[in-house]
Amino acid sequence: MSEPNVPQTPEVPEAPAGPYVYDYAAAPNRQIVMPKTVPLPSYRTYLAEQKAAAEADEAKWQKSLADYETAKAKAEAEGKDAPKPPVRPVPRKDDNDMKAPVPQEATDADLLKLQALLGDKVEEIFEQAGELVCQVKKEAILEALTLCRDEAALKYEMLADQSGTHYPAAKDFAYSVVYHLTSICRRKRLRLRILVPEGFAPESACAVYPGANWMEREIYDMLGICFLNHPDMTRILCPEDWEGYPLRKDYPTVGWGQRDISFREDRSGMLERIALQKAGQLGLNLKQPKAD
Amino acid sequence: MFKNEEMEINLGPQHPSTHGVLRVKLRLDGETITHCRPMIGYLHRGVEKICENQSFFQGQVWTDRMDYCSAVANNLGWAEANEKLLGITVPRRAQYIRTLLNEFNRLASHLIWLATHALDIGAMTVFLYAFREREDILDINEAFCGSRLTTTAFRIGGLREDLPPGFEKLVRKFLAKFPTCLEEYENLLTENRIWKKRTIGVAKLGAEDAIAMGVTGPVLRAAGVPYDIRKAFPYAAYGEMDFEIPTRTEADTYARYLVRMAEMRQSARIIQQCIDGLPEGPVMAKLPKILRSEVNEVYHATESPKGEIGYYLVGEKGSLNPYRFHVRAPGFINLQSLPKMAEGGLIADIVAAIGTLDIVLGEIDR
Repeated sequence: MSEPNVPQTPEVPEAPAGPYVYDYAAAPNRQIVMPKTVPLPSYRTYLAEQKAAAEADEAKWQKSLADYETAKAKAEAEGKDAPKPPVRPVPRKDDNDMKAPVPQEATDADLLKLQALLGDKVEEIFEQAGELVCQVKKEAILEALTLCRDEAALKYEMLADQSGTHYPAAKDFAYSVVYHLTSICRRKRLRLRILVPEGFAPESACAVYPGANWMEREIYDMLGICFLNHPDMTRILCPEDWEGYPLRKDYPTVGWGQRDISFREDRSGMLERIALQKAGQLGLNLKQPKAD
Repeated sequence: MFKNEEMEINLGPQHPSTHGVLRVKLRLDGETITHCRPMIGYLHRGVEKICENQSFFQGQVWTDRMDYCSAVANNLGWAEANEKLLGITVPRRAQYIRTLLNEFNRLASHLIWLATHALDIGAMTVFLYAFREREDILDINEAFCGSRLTTTAFRIGGLREDLPPGFEKLVRKFLAKFPTCLEEYENLLTENRIWKKRTIGVAKLGAEDAIAMGVTGPVLRAAGVPYDIRKAFPYAAYGEMDFEIPTRTEADTYARYLVRMAEMRQSARIIQQCIDGLPEGPVMAKLPKILRSEVNEVYHATESPKGEIGYYLVGEKGSLNPYRFHVRAPGFINLQSLPKMAEGGLIADIVAAIGTLDIVLGEIDR
């Protein structure tokens, strides 16, 4: 039996072989839950989903009607009371102040103008939550940005924000890069979006909007998307020798190189002190020295 | 004996004028800066990654800790972005109280800017005076939400609680006193010969450059562009308020100082209107117990004291947490213009240039 007042040296686990090799089972908070869906808003997908849902609803209703007919015929043949006819369920009315915005058809003049100017380089245009979204082909992004800045009817002078998102569940692309443009003189905002597969380097926006410099460096640092013709493609938030890209979905929240802290372990000798105190209350002396 | 050589030095990350942990690599030719490269990331905590793995509600305390000088403004942007993502309508009384607290926060942030900027340039008294008034504002914060610096003031859909009793009296007392305090600062600085020599013509950034770099806030307004999101894209109760956007055309450090001083007067005006016209009613929207998002993508920008703070959120169907959370930090974008301001100037002026941008490294590094 071990001495209770002698501090036990805790078993130190061996350091992992490399920076990426971790026993995720031993550290549950490092486990990664990879996303299964691609939350990319799109008017076309929304319409298709709505149509599919309506068709499924209709098929269910037809089936319940047919079931009713057969049940009725059966009851009549057996001389029993007829069953209740089915009632089509009315969708429940939510009386709260929350109503999720859905994608809507593009009616704004700016989006239609972009569509007219870019032609088939536009993949999709729609509006959602009062915001204008234009998804263009990834090769045409620089052209679209130049057009947005210089065209007299558009005049988006400022690139307010640029960021990316990782979609590991998507099949034909891996990232989206979004450009939030602001027109100061016309008080309008527009979002340009491109979908980028793994390894593709989109054209840098620095030539059109010099302010994109640091934002693209941040995207490179956090997601690992390189930009072509960028004047200074270096890491910005992480150190130069940092491994991995933190905002990818396969990067754990509790980062590599961090210690696993178990709050149950006796970090300050507190458990030992409590044990001694309790022993003192019971009249035991655990602190007796060993007789040599 | 004297060699005509360029010298490379580091300003920061420990220099008191770098407001945290900003490192600026400078190449000097005598006293003139020939090359300037700001380096950030010493405070990076991965706020975006953390918020993506927490519920919509839990993200709020992280926005407090990004820019601790204007926590309320960050909370407001975050709450409104979430409301836009989920499609929530906020009651009017809550909007008024949000506007009021946001303007108090603007005052507090501008006061801390004035204090530290003046201290950087060498004026000690203003530092002590400005902190005196900032204490009163923090007392008002404390009366509303119990904490002074990291307020966590708002909730998605409104406010946690209504104003406490006696709050109005506290606000009116402050408003009665504040104009004389502003005059005190202006008496110390505006016509001060040293202050003018250190600020006029220093760290110039013209309107075209500022717009191209994406610079917003008082720095852009001091270049003559009347762009204020409170007017351009009204949010909270700003659409119902009567106020002006102060602008200057000189685009130097002195102009930015004057713009911020004028902005403080406008903030006091907005607070007065909020407290006079405070509507009755609930302060929280009727919401389901669990907030679930639909597939949506929003970018919501609000005017923080430092410029445009934008939250980009991506919502997943049925999800309790944002799929993607990105912050467009005003300081991050504004700091990009530092080389443009500093190159060709004197090394003593880069301290004024850093101060005039009003940066907080917690927000820049996130």
